[in-house]
Amino acid sequence: MKTEFVKLIDTTLCTACRGCQVACKQWNEMPGLRTKQWGSYQNPPDLQWNTWTLIRFQEYAPKEGDFKWLFRKDGCMHCTDAACVKVCPSGALYHTEYGTVGLHHEKCIGCKYCISACPFDVPRYDRATDKVYKCDLCYTRLQGDQQPACVKSCPTGALTIGPKDAMIKKAYARVKELGGDANVYGDKFVGGTHVIYVLGEKAEVYEGLPKNPSVPVTTVLWKDILKPLSLLAAGGVVAGSFLHYIIHGPKLPDEDQGQDTKGGE
Amino acid sequence: MRKGLIQATDSFERIVHWCLAISCLVLCFSGLGIMFHSLNFLGEPFGGLKSLKYIHNITALFFALSLFFAIGMWWKEAGIFVFPEDMDWIKSAGGYLWHVDQVPEVGKYNPGQKMFFLVVALGGAAMVFSGLIMLFPLSIPAMIVRLMYLLHAAGFVAIFAFFFIHLYLGTVGSPGSLPAMTTGWVTRAWLKKQHPKWLKEMEEHGTLVVYGEEKQEGHGHGH
Repeated sequence: MKTEFVKLIDTTLCTACRGCQVACKQWNEMPGLRTKQWGSYQNPPDLQWNTWTLIRFQEYAPKEGDFKWLFRKDGCMHCTDAACVKVCPSGALYHTEYGTVGLHHEKCIGCKYCISACPFDVPRYDRATDKVYKCDLCYTRLQGDQQPACVKSCPTGALTIGPKDAMIKKAYARVKELGGDANVYGDKFVGGTHVIYVLGEKAEVYEGLPKNPSVPVTTVLWKDILKPLSLLAAGGVVAGSFLHYIIHGPKLPDEDQGQDTKGGE
Repeated sequence: MRKGLIQATDSFERIVHWCLAISCLVLCFSGLGIMFHSLNFLGEPFGGLKSLKYIHNITALFFALSLFFAIGMWWKEAGIFVFPEDMDWIKSAGGYLWHVDQVPEVGKYNPGQKMFFLVVALGGAAMVFSGLIMLFPLSIPAMIVRLMYLLHAAGFVAIFAFFFIHLYLGTVGSPGSLPAMTTGWVTRAWLKKQHPKWLKEMEEHGTLVVYGEEKQEGHGHGH
């Protein structure tokens, strides 16, 4: 593995200009689709197959203190212990040499396993191509020693990218500087994410942000227990049948070719 | 067909059985190809893993249909345990595992076969149900979909293992059984050994169909 990269999203520096959202679309050549005004600057309302990153706008009125308008850039967290990679049957989702989670679109079979496995609800399905889409942290740009498009476009320095250890250090230094409820989000779960937040408020304050994300226990049972067990059980039965045959022997009718013995018993 | 053979199954029963068996096997192996990266190559002859997915999904329809007929056809005879006779058989494991002087006599289906039937019927229904949800996961809460993946995998563990038991006991483990699924005609000796009570019942009720003999009653199917 090359140097592991971490993208740091400092929500306290974000002004919700949505430059990253536009740059992401432009670089990845994703079309814009018509959306409806729903009373928020958050547009489109949610991540889409063609929208891999999105600024979430949230009006937050704490019990004490001032009303706040929270901005959070949502998108793939690039988990080390990625549930999507674990469930992907075709190897379309994979870990890159940077520790991020890439996606070979030509391998995707549209099974949607990753969609329900992801603890952050990130992958999106497109019916027209029967494939799943998500942020790949601009894998080809990283390969060319370039920053991801979103980072490149960010005018406030809310988005930065660098080697994992340095970025985690930077995040904690920033949190110390901010004080209060500020905290680092991402380094403590799913093996450490490769996208890390500096949050101004406690994690549970943010809509759609799981407090303690983890690989679903059903996914672990399915892939780590039942999957190997299926072959073990079948192999055991085949071996057992063979042993049964050579130890106990088959169950044979008492008479040979008994079809002519009618009435003889 | 030899004279004296006895009809154990009718053609409808055998066709349903074969449809169920073939669709189940296609599902098992296409499913294996999807579940294991190392078996992804099973999709290659069909143009890739995505084709294997379609094969799996379409075969599931045939499986569901076959299962529907199989349950309708067998549940009365194979789906209900009769006590205490069945318990006696279970206690002696039908003479399959250790020496038993006198294996308790069983009818058309022994308790082992009944258990197998229940696993196929309930497991198969669970596979159809969970598979259906897996086809349309986006309109269902993720928690439920995740459970369905688990159920689908658990069902596979049971059905795949049971398949090999069934294969063994239907062939070399119990010689004489296979014709019940192929031609439908079995020997009297095999019936006497495997299903003595059923043989007696058929003789008593006059429903025994013996090849080369006039039917005792009007029952049974054409030769």
